[in-house]
Amino acid sequence: MSAVIEARGLTKSYGATRALDGVSFTVEPGRIVGLIGPNGAGKTTALKAILGLTAFGGELSVLGLDPRTQRDELMREVCFIADVAVLPRWLRVRQALDFVDGVHPRFDRARATEILSRTDIPMASRVRELSKGMVTQLHLALVMAIDAPLLVLDEPTLGLDLLYRRKFYDTLLNDYFDRDRTILLTTHQVEEVENLFTDVIFINHGRVVLAASIEDLGNRYQQLTSAGDQATRARALHPFYEREVFGRVAMLFEGRSAAELGALGELRTPSIADLFVAKMQGSPNT
Amino acid sequence: MSSSVADAAPERAPSGAPPAPRALSRTLLSLVRREFWEHRALWVAPAVVAALMVLGALFASVKYRAPHADLSGDQGPWNGMTLFAVMQGFVSSPLSLVTGIVLLFYLLDCLYAERKDRSILFFKSLPVSDGLTVLSKLLVALVIAPLGVYALGLLASLALTGIWQVNAVLGRLPAIPGWDLGGWLQAELALLLCLVVAALWYAPCAAYLLVVSAWARRNPFLWLLLPPVVAQILERVAFGTHYIASFIAYRLFGVWPILFSHVRLGHGRAFALGSGLAQLDLKAVLTDVDLWLGLAAAAGFVFAAIRLRRYRDDT
Repeated sequence: MSAVIEARGLTKSYGATRALDGVSFTVEPGRIVGLIGPNGAGKTTALKAILGLTAFGGELSVLGLDPRTQRDELMREVCFIADVAVLPRWLRVRQALDFVDGVHPRFDRARATEILSRTDIPMASRVRELSKGMVTQLHLALVMAIDAPLLVLDEPTLGLDLLYRRKFYDTLLNDYFDRDRTILLTTHQVEEVENLFTDVIFINHGRVVLAASIEDLGNRYQQLTSAGDQATRARALHPFYEREVFGRVAMLFEGRSAAELGALGELRTPSIADLFVAKMQGSPNT
Repeated sequence: MSSSVADAAPERAPSGAPPAPRALSRTLLSLVRREFWEHRALWVAPAVVAALMVLGALFASVKYRAPHADLSGDQGPWNGMTLFAVMQGFVSSPLSLVTGIVLLFYLLDCLYAERKDRSILFFKSLPVSDGLTVLSKLLVALVIAPLGVYALGLLASLALTGIWQVNAVLGRLPAIPGWDLGGWLQAELALLLCLVVAALWYAPCAAYLLVVSAWARRNPFLWLLLPPVVAQILERVAFGTHYIASFIAYRLFGVWPILFSHVRLGHGRAFALGSGLAQLDLKAVLTDVDLWLGLAAAAGFVFAAIRLRRYRDDT
C-alpha cells in the first residue's frame, strides 16, 4: 500500500522566520501519527501545507493528490479539525448536520446524530451557547460521521479540561480508528497522548528532529538510570542527554545494546515525553 | 449507498471507491441556506419593514376615513391595477432601500467574518470549492435576495389591497375600481425586468464588495470608503475636477436614466402604468457598452475574490 502522506523538503517562510526548513516525512496508512513539537515549531504550518491552506515549497503528495492544485478533490478524502474554536458561533447543531450532509458525499447523518445523542448537546442550540468542550464534541461528531481515509487534528483538545480531553481521545480510538484509517495529530501535550500513537514525528525550528514508529523507538533508544562509578562509565558511551534525578543520573542513549548498558544501572525504554525533552534540548538553535 | 447508513457493524470498509460528489444543485442550496442562517438581516430586515408598512396602513385605515377621495390621475380615472401598482410602489421603495443597505453590509461582511472568527477553517475542511462559495454569495445578493424581496413586496401590497377592500366595504374608502389583469401582469413583468437590469448593472459593485471583504484584514467598511474619499479629495486639490465622484455616481445610478429614457415626467405626463413594459428601454440598456464593461469588471473581481479566499492565509 502506498503512503498516505509523502513530504519531501517542505519549505515555508513568514518574513525572516523559516516555519518549515526542509521537512521530509512519510505517513503510512493505518497509523496514528503524532506530530510533536513546541509552540512555533512549524506543526501547524506543516498541517496547513498538507491541507492545502497555505502556499509552500517542496514536494507533497497526500493520498496521491497535490494539496496545492487538487484541494477540492482532496477535501473529499480528508477530514480535519483545525482548532477547537472554528465552528461558526451562529450555527445551530441541527444546521451543522444539514450543512455537512448537503455538501459532503461521505457524511453519514444517522451516525452523527447517534454520536450526538450520547452527549448533552441539544439539537436546537447555537454553537455560541455551548461550552468549549461541547463544541469540540460536536465537531468530533461531525468528523467521525465522515467516512474519510485521513483525519488531521491540530491541537484538538487545547484549552479543554481533563475529562473532555480523555473522552475525546477515547471516542477517537474506540469508535473511529481502524486499520483502514490514518490519523495525523499535532500536540504539545505529549505526556497525555503518548499511548495513542503508533508513530511520532518530532519537529523543531521547522526541521524534523526524529521520525519513528513506537516499536522502533524501543529498539533505538534506551534510558539508563545509574549513579556514581557506573554513571561515569555509562557517560563514556556518549549519551545524547542526561539529567539528574534525586542524586541519580538518567541518561538517554541511541543505538546501544541492552547488553552494553544493562550492567551499568536500571534500563528501560524512554517515554515519548522524555525523548521529546531530550531531542528538543539537543536540537540546533536552542 | 443505503447500506452504509444502516450498517452499524464496527468493521466498516471506508475509502473504497470514492463516492460521487454531491449534486451541484444540492451543494449550492446548502450554501445559500447557510447565508440566510448566518446573515439573518437578509430576511429579517425586509420582513420587518414590510410588516411595519402593513401595520401602518392598518392603523391609518382605522384612524382616518376618506370615502369620497378622488381616484383619478393625470391620465383619467384609476383602475384597480393602478391602485395596486401605486401600493406596490409605496411598499417597494422603502423595501428596496433597506434591502440595498442590508446587501451592502452583507457583501462586505460575508468573506471577512469567516476569517475573523476563523470559521473559514471549518468551511474549508468540507469539499466545497472556493469558486462555488464565492458564487453562492453573489447569487444570494444579486438574485435570491432581490427575488425574495420582490415576493415580499407583492404580498405586502396584496395585504394593503385587502385592507383597502375591507374599508371600501365598510364605506370608509371609495370602492376599488375594476381590475385590468393584463395591465397588472405587465406592471409586474416590468418590475421583474428592472430586477434583471439591476442585477446586471450592480454586478461589478457587488463583486467589488466581495473583493474588499476577502481582502481586508480588519474593518472592510473603512477599506471600502477610505480609498475613494481620499482619491476624490486629492483629485479636487490637484486638478480641481471631480471625475472620480461622477464615475462612482454613474456606476451607482447610471443605468436608470438609460432604462427610463422614454419616460417624461411632469407637465401633465405621468408614468403610464398600464403599459409598463413599453416604458422600459431594455434595448438601450442591453446594448450599452458600459453595462458590458461593468460585467467584464465583475468577472475580474469575482476571480480576484476566489483567489483571495483560496490563498489568503491569515487564520
